[in-house]
Amino acid sequence: MSTRSSEIDPRGPRFSAAVTAVLVLIGVGLALVGGTPATIAGRIGQPAFLLFVVLAALFAWGAFAGVARHPWGLVFKRVIRPRLAPPAELENAAAPTFAQGVGLFVVTVGLVLHLAGVPFALVVAGSAAFVAAFLNSVFDYCLGCQLYLLLVRSGVLRPKASAASSPA
Amino acid sequence: MEPWTVVIVLAALVAVSTALGLLYRLTRSRVGTVAAAREAAVDGIDLGSQGTLLQFSSAVCSACAATRRILESVSTDNPSLRHVEVDVTDRPDLVSRFNILQTPTTLILDHTGVPVSRIGGGVRREVVLAQLTGILTPAPTPKI
Repeated sequence: MSTRSSEIDPRGPRFSAAVTAVLVLIGVGLALVGGTPATIAGRIGQPAFLLFVVLAALFAWGAFAGVARHPWGLVFKRVIRPRLAPPAELENAAAPTFAQGVGLFVVTVGLVLHLAGVPFALVVAGSAAFVAAFLNSVFDYCLGCQLYLLLVRSGVLRPKASAASSPA
Repeated sequence: MEPWTVVIVLAALVAVSTALGLLYRLTRSRVGTVAAAREAAVDGIDLGSQGTLLQFSSAVCSACAATRRILESVSTDNPSLRHVEVDVTDRPDLVSRFNILQTPTTLILDHTGVPVSRIGGGVRREVVLAQLTGILTPAPTPKI
């Protein structure tokens, strides 16, 4: 994650989260309509499954290439930001980038469980992703930041000493 | 599944998320008290002469920069205050002692380093200033 310490307009991730929340909500709706078909081929061919595969790819893009290079991030930078006043302050890209990783994890777990035939796997995973994206977009609440702190405190996640302590 | 059931489930999802968000907004920047058991001087940081704004931050934190800006401006306006920012990974002792569950969390310490109040989440300037009135000695009122 080379963009770990870069500074971005905080409204960019909120815009991306809004787009993501709408797509995830559509995915949850499709998953509810589609249910869990009996065969693997039937489960792979579902619109809900395909949409969540695309969403997982988008989360992976944000998590590994950085939120600034994410498609919605680029739309924000090119189309929306030029029409807005400058932001009050910039935010570290680490938080939204980590959040993309959390989204990737949750959606991937949902996809795998769905393939294994677990009923409502995509509905539950999609609902969790929706709550996080919605809170981020509408209320500027960073659920991933809370998770990061809990993971660090419990010792699951070991921060790189240089990345965590140096302001650069 | 019936279409109307799907619509109800999706609407419920949006409603629950909105309720969570409103709850968060209600508790944001709320001032808490420091438990009596934890009322002892914080060690290992440079204190301001009248008080210290101790901010806990982490590498993954969206509101830390805004809080830093506000606290720095407050301490610049009042030179007897000092703003100190610590990363949660550098001071796990303080993090577990004060049970820091979110970043930023701000502790306001008096001149001896004893915490007197605690602000969870991003701070608002007026909330910080209101908390400071208790520990700052008022400026002498000019006699006419």
